[in-house]
Amino acid sequence: MIVIDKLCYCSRLRYVNASEKFLYTAATLAICVAGRSFAAAAAAFAVNGILTVRKGGIPLSRYIRLLMMPLAFLIPGSAAVIVNVSKMPLDAFAFPVGDWYITGSRDSIREGALLWAVAFSAVSCLYFLSLNTTMTDILEVLRKLHVPALLIELMMLIYRFIFVLLETASAIEISQKSRLGDRNFRTKARAFGSLGSCLFIRAFRRANALYDAMESRCYDGTIRVLSGERPVKRKEICYIAVFEIILLAVTIGSRAI
Amino acid sequence: MSHTEDWVIEAENLSYSYEGNDRKALDGLSVRIGRGRKVAFMGGNGSGKSTFFLCLNGILRPDEGRVLVDGEPVSYTRKGLLDVRKRVGIVFQEPDNQLFSASVFQEISFGILNLGADEETARREVERVIRELYITPFKDRPAHALSGGQKKQVAIADILVMHPQVMILDEPASALDAVHTKKVHELVNRLTEQGITVLMSLHDIDYAWSWADEIVLMHEGKVIRQGTPREICEDENVLKKAGLERPAVLRIYEKLINKGMLSGSEIPGSMDELAEMLS
Repeated sequence: MIVIDKLCYCSRLRYVNASEKFLYTAATLAICVAGRSFAAAAAAFAVNGILTVRKGGIPLSRYIRLLMMPLAFLIPGSAAVIVNVSKMPLDAFAFPVGDWYITGSRDSIREGALLWAVAFSAVSCLYFLSLNTTMTDILEVLRKLHVPALLIELMMLIYRFIFVLLETASAIEISQKSRLGDRNFRTKARAFGSLGSCLFIRAFRRANALYDAMESRCYDGTIRVLSGERPVKRKEICYIAVFEIILLAVTIGSRAI
Repeated sequence: MSHTEDWVIEAENLSYSYEGNDRKALDGLSVRIGRGRKVAFMGGNGSGKSTFFLCLNGILRPDEGRVLVDGEPVSYTRKGLLDVRKRVGIVFQEPDNQLFSASVFQEISFGILNLGADEETARREVERVIRELYITPFKDRPAHALSGGQKKQVAIADILVMHPQVMILDEPASALDAVHTKKVHELVNRLTEQGITVLMSLHDIDYAWSWADEIVLMHEGKVIRQGTPREICEDENVLKKAGLERPAVLRIYEKLINKGMLSGSEIPGSMDELAEMLS
């Protein structure tokens, strides 16, 4: 998560209007997931990759490593779809184990492959958004979509304080290590416990201090801030519209076959 | 001492103790601050500086005594508090406790929007402050990627955008390197040029000597002495009580006078001035 945060601030697409990126992501994601078409998924995956790596300037190796992350879910997920245990062998493959077969059908292999395709295209959509859009910009879009202000304010504060608390935690950890807190399992466990409680108390104090600081700037219960939104570009909207129409056509076309 | 009667802040006999704590954080504190002055608050940890500051813009309400801002007693109604917080701004010691947004632009816009400015004015003001406080090079970075000094600059901008009459800086140089300390001090000097009264708590007597119009010495929740740096630094007993030593420049100057290496003229206001006298 921290890596993604660092990358999105360096992305060359960072200053593209966030609503546009959000719209593109949402539409592409919807078509890929609802359409369940190989061709559309492949097209979306390719375009997202090009946009993120070529246009956005995210390093390819980083992007590939990030794409590997959902494998942990995908492999067992598709195995469950493809592999069956039954007394009757199915048409694609079958390994006898005693009286039983570990087996799978052609349909289920197709199903499993489609699962991979759709999952990767969906993940690439979300990476496109999160690698090229800062959290504050995404919150700005949510505000426009009339997500309740309370939720947005919470997200805003949580996002800011994740980093503050991480910093505090790592400082405490270093000071524990420098006093041999990680000497063996026992001391490690104790150090970790006190780190947790210490962090909790500090978070509490920080919350109080933050409230005081906000109050001294006339906080009245609603966080009002200016957005730093960039203008919408008509050209980009046209590109998005054209791409989504093509994607939709590909989906419908490939399903008709 | 100044002869002005134009007090921007008057505190009369303030007492305050924190919940669950018998010791009084403020214990009959009285002080008056003239408009446009540069005032250094000095005293050991726990002498009540930060508590006093929180009383000045109504974050804490003193158990006894009263605070007057611009000659008017602080009213603890919603509107009264809004009014006093508009006039008296605090830059907190720890910027991580003050910056709540990851975006610098959002962060700075918070205060002025709370004052009811319309979006266009607010945008203009935020942009002006960003320019004036040299924030432009890092204005697009998230708060967690800023250095301590940069966070401090943003924290000052947070308050400055609200056009306060009095600006309080709670140990602005704590945890800053020499370069950023200097930068913060430059910013503070520009505030006073704009006519803003600056109250600053600090531990560096050498800086207080060269910067302040007045020094307020605090000890155990009371003001034990208020005066010009010269008046304060002549009184070694009171300095000792506040846990302070005399400024280095003063000590060197006096040694030089005693040894006959310098003829007693004007007392130097800073190391640079002393160096000038020697050349």
